[in-house]
Amino acid sequence: METQAAQTLIRSDLLTLTQNQMEMLLPYAWVFVGAAVALVLSVIRFISPKWPVFIVSLLTLGGGVWATEKVIHGERLLAFNNMMIFDHYSSVFNILFLVSAAVTVLASFRYLDKEGLQYPEYYVLILFSALGMMLMASSIDLVVMFIALELMSLAVYSLVGFRRADRKSNEAAMKYFVLGSAASAILLYGVALLYGSTGSTNILDILATIEKTPALVTPVFSVGAWLVMIGFLFKVASVPFHMWMPDVYEGSPAPITGFMTTGLKAAAFATFIRVTMSLGYGKSISAVFQHHMHDALWVCAVLTMVIGNLVALAQVNLKRMLAYSSIAHTGYLLIGLIVGPGNENGYSPMIVYLIAYAAMNLGAFVVMSMLAGREDHGLNLHDLAGLSSRRPWLAFAMVVFLFSLAGIPPTAGFAGKYMLLYSAVQAGEIPLVVIAVLCSAISVYYYLRVIVYMYMKEPAGSPANARASLWSALATTGMVAITMIVGLQPSQVLNIAKKAVNSLVVAAK
Amino acid sequence: MNSPAVFADVSPYFFFIFAGMAILFSTMVVFKKNPASSAFSLVLVFFAFAGIYAAMDAHLVAALQILVYAGAIMVLFVFVIMLLSSDVPSLDMKRSGLMTRIAAVSAVALLLVGLIYVFKNNPSLLPKGPHSPEKIAQVGGNTRAISQLMFSDYLLPFELTSVLLLVGIVGSVALAKRKMGGTK
Repeated sequence: METQAAQTLIRSDLLTLTQNQMEMLLPYAWVFVGAAVALVLSVIRFISPKWPVFIVSLLTLGGGVWATEKVIHGERLLAFNNMMIFDHYSSVFNILFLVSAAVTVLASFRYLDKEGLQYPEYYVLILFSALGMMLMASSIDLVVMFIALELMSLAVYSLVGFRRADRKSNEAAMKYFVLGSAASAILLYGVALLYGSTGSTNILDILATIEKTPALVTPVFSVGAWLVMIGFLFKVASVPFHMWMPDVYEGSPAPITGFMTTGLKAAAFATFIRVTMSLGYGKSISAVFQHHMHDALWVCAVLTMVIGNLVALAQVNLKRMLAYSSIAHTGYLLIGLIVGPGNENGYSPMIVYLIAYAAMNLGAFVVMSMLAGREDHGLNLHDLAGLSSRRPWLAFAMVVFLFSLAGIPPTAGFAGKYMLLYSAVQAGEIPLVVIAVLCSAISVYYYLRVIVYMYMKEPAGSPANARASLWSALATTGMVAITMIVGLQPSQVLNIAKKAVNSLVVAAK
Repeated sequence: MNSPAVFADVSPYFFFIFAGMAILFSTMVVFKKNPASSAFSLVLVFFAFAGIYAAMDAHLVAALQILVYAGAIMVLFVFVIMLLSSDVPSLDMKRSGLMTRIAAVSAVALLLVGLIYVFKNNPSLLPKGPHSPEKIAQVGGNTRAISQLMFSDYLLPFELTSVLLLVGIVGSVALAKRKMGGTK
């Protein structure tokens, strides 16, 4: 048997990477090496690892953005046995993840000092989580996608529970971990059924298979597809699967909540778009399956918008309010997913909205992590009373973010929502648009209430006037700038998003 | 590897025996109050799975299942349970309400009926994967095939798994190493 082992399954072309593939891999390698260096630095004992790890993290994320920027206009490229794809789509999302991780790192520095939690592993976990997100957005194989999803989630589970002395933080981490694992198991079962019914885990191959033989859209395939969809709907916290979210968002440290609402959600949606396309959504391969998928997503979107906005009305804790508002925004994003195949811009309004949402929500959470007292106390509405006289710049930044979240021009939130709803009108989803507009009208109330408290109420007590951290101020300024730029120049962002989506359409044949 | 035909006529019975064992012991994992007996039921579930894999000619996976899951991972579980058992008296959680229980049971029943329906009505034109038993036999057996694939076709997931394990370790150490409320 030894001698006749000439026959081998190893394909020699898989053992090397071409020059182009190496270049495309650079952002991922950079972030991984940076995370490893930060990990090594975090065990040094002769000086405090605080500054070195912080600086290495920022350099890693900045360098990652730079490396991605260099390859963003490169050709579409596959690597590792067609498991990974480097296209414009993944590059745009990589920049989004890296920037949101960088903002989180900036916002955390002073915050961790204040909380007495300045442990270097925190930054290492953020870096690894960002790496997981990047891999997720650029994987086209369900196995890699799942491992990347777990890489991202595992790091975030630990970050959610980072404030160990706080019971709420522990509860949030435990809840998120148990429910997240259950969702991962459902997703994995779906992946197994898809593999069983098409013979491949590669999403491009799955699409090619069912396009060639539509009879392969069997009941088993449908169940697999449904289970995968449920897994993703859990990750983006759409309504029937949203129960975990408010507690988790309230319990985790404020910068991490910001990271979860933006990076995590964007990563889940980035993969969600790829997967729904590859399951044949919008290609009318199987009419019944197509209609069921559309109707289920439709119901989820409506419930998500309505429940998210209505419950947010009743919240007095700012973090909890933004958690419910984040659910509502998931609903708007689901509209983009539903109408993606039916309008001229495809899924690009969704990407614009994800960018806009990332900027405004991250900004809001940076401001909140600056305002928060120890263990995130002091984030109730009445604590914000009279903020405009105490900390005028911070109050102003918050107003920009809240206006944007409410969708008031000339901010990013307005531009994003306008494009999203316009594409829905084009796709003929008028009831969906009407519901979305009504829901955003409701949302204006609870966003503006915060502004009313900040500007028109007398301050209740006189909390200690903490000096703003330079890093958080930097992050806030950046986010205000992005929110305004996206709001004033939406067509440029749309062009970037269109290019990204076009590379995706080509990829899916 | 030599003659799967001999197994072919008995393997359905093996499947039903092992699958029945797996279901029985998994329900015991859920319903046992004592964490230690839950853990030992889980070991038996893993053994049943190993039996199913062996009946499907996947001998390496069966062996690994026993070594890794039933051996290493479960021993770790049992150690953790033993270390914790002094301050966690039992896993007897607060009873959930009647409505929750009815909802849970009906959801599980619905899922079961749905899955049975789906699998019964599935037309049998499922495509074969690329790695048929004959092809594996040509290459020289399961072990050889898996190791060759792991370092070529599936290199990326294999390497990423190690990153995943690293993150798991970093995360758990970060959470476990410090005292509650203390600074270090």
